[in-house]
Amino acid sequence: MKNILKLFLTVGLISYLPSQAQEEIILKGKELFGDLSARQIGPAIMSGRISDIANHPTNNKIIYIGAAGGGVWKSSDGGASFSPIFDKHIQSIGCVTVDPNNPDNTIWVGTGEPWTRNSVSIGDGIYKSTDGGLNWNNMGLPKSDRITSIIVDPRNSDVVWAGVLGALWGDSEDRGIYKTTDGGKTWNKTFYVDQTTGCADLVIDPSNPDIMYASFWEFRRTAWSFNSGGNNSALYKTIDGGKTWNKIHNGFPKGQLGRIAIGVAPSNSQILYAVLETEQDKDKGLYRSDDSGATWKHLNSDFELVVRPFYFSRITIDPRNPDILYKGGLRGSISRDGGKTFKPLGNMHADIHDITVDLHDSNRIYVATDGGLYRSWDSGNTLDIVKNLPLSQYYHLSLDNEEPYNIYGGLQDNGSWYGPSKSDGGIEARDWHSVGYGDGFRVLKHPTKKIIYSEMQGAENIWRYNLETKELKTIQPLAVKGDPKLRFNWNTPIVTGIHNPDRIYAGSQFVHVSDDMGQTWRKISGDLTTNDPTKTNTEKSGGLSVDNSGAENHCTIFTIAESPLNKEIIWAGTDDGNVQITKDGGKTWSNVTANLKGLPKNTWCYHIEASVFNEGTAYAVFDGHSKNDYATYVYKTSDFGKTWTSIATADIDGFARNIQEDYKNPNLLFLGTEKGLYITVDGGKNWSKFENNMPAVAIHYLDLHSKTNDLVMATHGRGIIILDDVSPLRQITPEILKKDVHFFEMKPFAIEEQSSFGGTASELEFVGPNPNTAAQIVYYLKKRHTFGKMEMEIQDLNGHKIASLIPGKQKGINIVTWNFNTKNPKIATAKTLSYGGFTSPRVPEGTYKVVLTKGNDTYTQEFKVVNDPKSVISAAERKKQAETTKMLFDKNEELAYMVYELDEMIALNKKIMEKDAKSAKSNGKIDSEFNSLKNTMVVTTGDMYVGAAEPQLREKLSAIYATVASQFDAPSPSQIANIENIMDQFNTAKSGFSDLKSKYKNKLVGQATKLQIPFALKSFEEYLKE
Amino acid sequence: MKKLGIAFGIMLFVFGGFTTHAQTADEIINTYITNIGGADKFRSLTGTKMEMNVNYQGMEIPVELVQLKGGKMYLKINFQGQEITQMAFDGTTAWSTNFMTMKAEKMESEMVENIKQEAGDYPDPLIDYKSKGYTAEYLGKETKEGTECYKIKLTKKPQMVDGQKVDNIVFYYFDTENNVPILTEAEIKSGPMKGQMSTTTMSDYQEVEGMYFPFSMNQGGQPMKIKKVTLNPTVDPSAFTFKE
Repeated sequence: MKNILKLFLTVGLISYLPSQAQEEIILKGKELFGDLSARQIGPAIMSGRISDIANHPTNNKIIYIGAAGGGVWKSSDGGASFSPIFDKHIQSIGCVTVDPNNPDNTIWVGTGEPWTRNSVSIGDGIYKSTDGGLNWNNMGLPKSDRITSIIVDPRNSDVVWAGVLGALWGDSEDRGIYKTTDGGKTWNKTFYVDQTTGCADLVIDPSNPDIMYASFWEFRRTAWSFNSGGNNSALYKTIDGGKTWNKIHNGFPKGQLGRIAIGVAPSNSQILYAVLETEQDKDKGLYRSDDSGATWKHLNSDFELVVRPFYFSRITIDPRNPDILYKGGLRGSISRDGGKTFKPLGNMHADIHDITVDLHDSNRIYVATDGGLYRSWDSGNTLDIVKNLPLSQYYHLSLDNEEPYNIYGGLQDNGSWYGPSKSDGGIEARDWHSVGYGDGFRVLKHPTKKIIYSEMQGAENIWRYNLETKELKTIQPLAVKGDPKLRFNWNTPIVTGIHNPDRIYAGSQFVHVSDDMGQTWRKISGDLTTNDPTKTNTEKSGGLSVDNSGAENHCTIFTIAESPLNKEIIWAGTDDGNVQITKDGGKTWSNVTANLKGLPKNTWCYHIEASVFNEGTAYAVFDGHSKNDYATYVYKTSDFGKTWTSIATADIDGFARNIQEDYKNPNLLFLGTEKGLYITVDGGKNWSKFENNMPAVAIHYLDLHSKTNDLVMATHGRGIIILDDVSPLRQITPEILKKDVHFFEMKPFAIEEQSSFGGTASELEFVGPNPNTAAQIVYYLKKRHTFGKMEMEIQDLNGHKIASLIPGKQKGINIVTWNFNTKNPKIATAKTLSYGGFTSPRVPEGTYKVVLTKGNDTYTQEFKVVNDPKSVISAAERKKQAETTKMLFDKNEELAYMVYELDEMIALNKKIMEKDAKSAKSNGKIDSEFNSLKNTMVVTTGDMYVGAAEPQLREKLSAIYATVASQFDAPSPSQIANIENIMDQFNTAKSGFSDLKSKYKNKLVGQATKLQIPFALKSFEEYLKE
Repeated sequence: MKKLGIAFGIMLFVFGGFTTHAQTADEIINTYITNIGGADKFRSLTGTKMEMNVNYQGMEIPVELVQLKGGKMYLKINFQGQEITQMAFDGTTAWSTNFMTMKAEKMESEMVENIKQEAGDYPDPLIDYKSKGYTAEYLGKETKEGTECYKIKLTKKPQMVDGQKVDNIVFYYFDTENNVPILTEAEIKSGPMKGQMSTTTMSDYQEVEGMYFPFSMNQGGQPMKIKKVTLNPTVDPSAFTFKE
């Protein structure tokens, strides 16, 4: 092995040499980001949309859910709590299917949500796990876009059918029913209707796996319209395992059909239920067949059955009783008479997408809603939300300058909220405050006043909320004389002024400005959109079921950016693809869209970022997904939009929505895409996916906090995710990456004075972690350290060791934390432990150094430690605290040594008595004198809980030490009086010990020498070292 | 980058020509065992004593871990001059010390059975893994610790958790350059972290009498530094035994 090590060194050298010649070393994410890790702070209070639930077929403790934008989660405790199991992959889920033949291990996931609202995301194929969800493999169907159903043949796990609904925004030949007979290695399209019609549902007859039912749906969405229904929508049946499919419409109305829900009663597979979307309202609703689909009877057209079929189309039939069925809907409903009548389910979040019933108990159901997962123990009368599912779907966020800063943002169907980036005990449900109804989007804090602006869909309301006076006012721009109808996007841009804090911008087809916090508005632009009349008629949107929610409002302004450098420069981007700029505060606008080479016409301008470095510089991100174009479009201009350069590379997978520029390093950029976060440190030449604790989730908005350097992400499915302090990334250059070890410059570390209280959440509630407040030593390693020693110490500038740390060894960025503590005191040995012995004094503010030794090499870096800037404690007080702490620390160690000496003498005396029976009487007296002194010095009986002995000197001394060492200010008069009192006891003990020692030590040593009992005491220094 | 790649290739070639053919789990495991000193040396060990420091927020806590062939083990912590056996197993009984009473308490029988079942894991579960009834599968390359690794799935015997038989799988990541494990993962089977992965990293491999041991480990965020490894230690047998 020694030889091998030598060889390592030699080869290491060889590999080093050619790298000298390299122009740049390109490192991708996993080799670079190392310990930089995202912080998922939720919230879970409102949770988010869940598209599918899958119960384990034989173990009711195991439940899977697929979220609309938050991946797959697994419960192993009957739905009490869930853990994410699909973070590396796309987070929009269509369905989860447990293999009935191997339910503990084999799980299938079809990606792409099937509930096709305007904000729905996309999928990228079918996945399989063979170890209960620990590892996943993509098994193909890459262009399936959305998979609604997966059926595993109960006779053979290698035979699987997948129902592919397919693309929402364009034609696709990838729709239909696919089959594999080799466990997913290869797939055949076994049934296809046409490029507009996909498989909306596929179910199997539980008593005969050759029988299946499939509903096909003709549907299409554009940015400005939705259509459900057509001549190709139909319900099919196969009786030969999918070889042939026939329509089963006997009893259905003639004409076009829309989305069809289908269910087979598990306890009697003759009984089927279907919910139809039809041309005539009277024909819509529930149909029942009692003869396996040969004939159908229309039973019911209740609102809950017919409402928004594109969004609610799931029938769940009780596993034991074919007459009990549930239907997803606005509130969800249940029938106990075979579908004749229904009643709504109990109180929970609206918009019910899926319902499942427990394996053993029909009263126990699970419900997937727009606002999380609910459990019921009485078949849906009363419902309880699962509190640890942070699936929140943010559309946007903004930050304030408080300490800790707050995060403001709005969510799909869950209003608007703000909450802190840090809270005592962690960020819990209690920390989040509701500041808006409906669908929430942009929420902005007034830059200087205690005022929040929030909005609901389509600017139906823009609110101005005064946090102090509680004044709540509706302030959206309203049409005035001569105005056309104002077109506000579902997600209407509102922006506060950088140069005038009372200013607020809002975008319809016009840019509106108010300089008095929304009291009066003026338009500073004409119609900046294409104003295409074919795209502005939303009244007829929906198809067979009109769906004019405002979600399809188009030809609107979507992003507004004021230059941080010049208030006259304002950018506006529109959802129909225009980029416009004014350099005179809105008097004149230039449409610079044509200068964007390579950008398809009318591609949605999702975000414009006006640079902090240069007035003419801006970034624009375009999202073509609503035109069925998933390419990445990211552009940069440096000349006010006259020319643009694409900075998207092949590194980026999928479409992007947002970009964030660093404030210090113009080459450091962050890109939010539909599949996660990408970072470039070279101005966009290379992009790396960031995956450390960062799911592949859609990022709708990004912001960088100017004080903390935290990158804060609004994800559409996993809540707020923060990448704390990105400043090390600013410093990355090819030169640094060539070094074996490089310490990053860090801002001074503040010893934060913080509460240790907090924490009200039960273990079933989500709690977002706080940022680390310890000092963080950040360094880069060119190579992972595996063989030989590598150690780290904190030292003062004179090289005295303060603390030993255990360094990280990975290639890339390592972060080692240190909580400013020095060594803890050595405490006297007693019957029990003293908590004071676990308290270390803190270092004072000043300059320190970290010393890293790796093999024979030493690397050092100085850093500064400062007191908490918000602290009011004076330097004199701190000095007094430190001195008292030191004094008490020393006294504890002094006592520890006395007790050690005493214990050694007691032990020696015992040995003497054992060896020399004659000594029993005189030495017995010594023993009792020793022990009665010891009993005043330390506890010698009792336990660590309610059986604790009366505290003695050690306990009192260590308790006051721990108290003083932990506080920041000088000891109070009360503490000083207590210290004096304890010092009296200390001195009494000390003189008592000294007396006994001089009285007996020599005698004992003499006796021991005669009896040949070895005896040696460690010196004080030796004792402390051991 | 190309030249670097060539250098890398040379290195890999020297260490067994990994690049020339597809890996198997056995090749990776055998190379590892050879790299750390050879199976014979490890098979002949009667036990190891590891003296280490657990670093808790900069506080160094001395810990002594003794493992003997056959599965006996104890883990002692030294706090304020007191030696506390945090966990021990004497071949039949596994026990720990209650921190409130400072008295020994027996561990739950399910846990004891699981410990017994893995009594043959010493000195390394991978040595003679087949005769232990384990299987190993090579799952491909994956980047861990910034470094390209071979991923091996080691399936051990199922364990009992809360009355149910559950899979017992450890994923090993062998750095492709040195062919020693630098990281392992195992699913957490109970408690609030249930269903999540517990990660352990290993580094600072150092030689002790011709055998290599990782002298630095980080288990689920808890770093440990080994100060000394004693091979075939003399241990008082009563240290393993449960005391009423």
